Amino acid sequence: MSTARLQNTVAEYGLRRLLAYGAGVLLAIAVAYGAIFPNTAAGDLLRVALSESTLGAALRLAVPIVCAALGGIFAEKSGVINIGLEGLLIISAFTGVYVADAVGSLAFLPGIWVGFFAGVLASTLLSLLFAVVCLEYRADQIIAGLAVWLIALGLAPFVSQVAYGSVNTDSVGTLGTWTIPVLSELPFVGSVLFDASPVVYIMLFAVAGSWYVLNRTSFGRHVRASGENPKALDTAGVNVTRTRYVAVALSGVLSGIGGAGLSLGQVGLFIGNGQTMVNGRGFIAIVAYLFGNYNPLGAFGAGVLFAGLDALQLRLQQIPAYAVPSSLVQTIPYITVIIVLALVGRTRIPSAAGEHYESGED
Amino acid sequence: MSRREDIEAGLARLVAASWVERLLLSLAALAASIVVGGVIVVISGMAATCEEPAFAFFGPTSCYDPVGVYVQLFQGAIGNVLADPFNFQIALTLKETSLLVFTGLSVAVAFRAGLFNIGSQGQLVAGALATALTVLSVAPFVPAGLGAIVLVPLGVIAGAVVGGLYGAIPGALKAYADANEVITTIMLNFVAAQIAFFLVSSYFSAPESQSVETRTVPGAAVLESTLFGSGSNFSVFVFVFGLALVAGLYYLIERTAFGYDLRTSGLQPEAAEYGGVDADRTIVTSMALSGAFAGIGGAVWVLMVTGRFTASVPALGFDGITVSILAGNNPLGVVPAALLFGVLKSGSLALQLSAESPPKQLVGVLRGLIILFVAMPEFFRFIGQRFVTTGRDPVATDGGKRVEGARASTGERSDSNGDELKEGEP
Repeated sequence: MSTARLQNTVAEYGLRRLLAYGAGVLLAIAVAYGAIFPNTAAGDLLRVALSESTLGAALRLAVPIVCAALGGIFAEKSGVINIGLEGLLIISAFTGVYVADAVGSLAFLPGIWVGFFAGVLASTLLSLLFAVVCLEYRADQIIAGLAVWLIALGLAPFVSQVAYGSVNTDSVGTLGTWTIPVLSELPFVGSVLFDASPVVYIMLFAVAGSWYVLNRTSFGRHVRASGENPKALDTAGVNVTRTRYVAVALSGVLSGIGGAGLSLGQVGLFIGNGQTMVNGRGFIAIVAYLFGNYNPLGAFGAGVLFAGLDALQLRLQQIPAYAVPSSLVQTIPYITVIIVLALVGRTRIPSAAGEHYESGED
Repeated sequence: MSRREDIEAGLARLVAASWVERLLLSLAALAASIVVGGVIVVISGMAATCEEPAFAFFGPTSCYDPVGVYVQLFQGAIGNVLADPFNFQIALTLKETSLLVFTGLSVAVAFRAGLFNIGSQGQLVAGALATALTVLSVAPFVPAGLGAIVLVPLGVIAGAVVGGLYGAIPGALKAYADANEVITTIMLNFVAAQIAFFLVSSYFSAPESQSVETRTVPGAAVLESTLFGSGSNFSVFVFVFGLALVAGLYYLIERTAFGYDLRTSGLQPEAAEYGGVDADRTIVTSMALSGAFAGIGGAVWVLMVTGRFTASVPALGFDGITVSILAGNNPLGVVPAALLFGVLKSGSLALQLSAESPPKQLVGVLRGLIILFVAMPEFFRFIGQRFVTTGRDPVATDGGKRVEGARASTGERSDSNGDELKEGEP
């Protein structure tokens, strides 16, 4: 049986690698073709894809996906599958706008930043509720995560309707952009990386920080052990439940940055009809970290890839010759997610993910 | 009594006990959601502005009276039932109920097979579009007089087939590529909505319409309401059809060989496979069946409610998740759970009409809260233990039957909730 399984694994891995290489080669051919013949459609596409504005937009659009994905990594590495990331994004996106509008400025803090932090706080509180439900009351994590999503999906338009008389809020403006002196003068890179929304900087910092915390600190070791072998961690004298609480709370903090970054960083208001303005980004975040194999850097790459596709289609809308129906192009990220998931299939997930742990269990 | 009879009697008691416990859990979750929802109503009433506050406590005032809100919801759902049992509000409630029966069954059948189908919404959209397009394209060739007999069944079958095929996609991806169905079904919801929007706006739009919708299906294909007067968009025939499907699915799950395969794959995939169940095929078939139920829901929505496909599809699929979870994924439980949401949804219209009420989105909040509370049976056990002591073990939230090694929801990710959520033992 094990030989058959091994053969299966090899065949499967070989096939996937083949598909990945195949896609890479096709992409390389397309890029080369576009570079050599700049006057063709491929050339146009390449020029648009590599333009400063597309790359800048990709980074901006990646903020909610990447931040939520980082949060998802912490939770799942610790053994708690948080499928409610979408709900955390929704609640912080709405709270950010609502508070920025309602409270106004504090002494040293512009109103919009007050809103931003309020959004992060709201998301953290909701994630703590999720943690209590899962860790204290041993709820099924998938159902509880679904509940987090549905509560946020109902609550944000509800409160918006109470406060604004519409599921969409008023506009409160955005966080604007921070231009880093000198560095922003650099050709190409400068305008993409150093003349961006503050939430882009926060995201880049969060990616590096998450990688460092997970791989280089004792807390990161505890988180990983809590998801892989909670009993060993318990034996070593570390409180598994507390580790999981902190990890889930971190997923709330990071998703909160993503959600508030979406509403306050880009749009300046909350849109609450349909699936709300978050529109599935929380679920794409889950795929981003699965695709990135639970590595913050990998999740960042995957998140930027998905956001890049989105940015590209937005840019292509503006070129009349390539006026592809937007509803069709908008399916691309979702279909990509499905294909990626089908190709990647079973990722190596923390072995205790989804399980309850109680100190003193046999 | 022989040993065997002893065991059988014990098992029978157990099944009954777990059934009662499920019911109690659902009722407790409902009660808790109503209480928390009431608190949210009061708090939102403090933020709202109104001429005359409903009540004040220690200074702060609230515009909404929570008890009044629930009374209004309920009265709005049943209308003046004593004077006219076939009134308009009852028709609205039953309309929502029968729509939710289909998506509730859709989620339930997948869940019983250990699969989490969050894609009922997308399958419903696919089915609804297929129904509208099929009926519209066939209608010119159907002789007058035969319209209802030919077009209605044809439309429903088209919805079921296309919904079923759309449901089979995540099933096949799960079975043969190991792609987690929770994520793929969610993604396919977005894909279905966008593609339907594209198809209708580019190729099938009604000529003089401002919104993205198809032409109206001919009157012969519309399910008329005979008992409740026209305009209510509710057909008793559909309600009876829904009940028949409930009975049919119950029989299929509990009494047939396929139902046995389905249940055992949901409970213990390894054991099922060892016992000769083709797990991959069961996954695809259950997801296709699940999608077919959602597709029928879409067909009914088109033929009974709107008379056309419009891009603004209500969230019937997502409500189906709540209905199924509240029903313990039991087809028979789907009916009362759907009725509850029918009441909430048609009652929410009464909230919308009244100026002193919180917005109708309240129902969405309640939906989330109900799922949250159903997810945590331990919470109610914890509270219950303060009043009565029981020697029973907890039940799992999903159908009360999941045991070690279940393939449910998280796929291979988890060995389920394992020991502590095993079905109760005496």
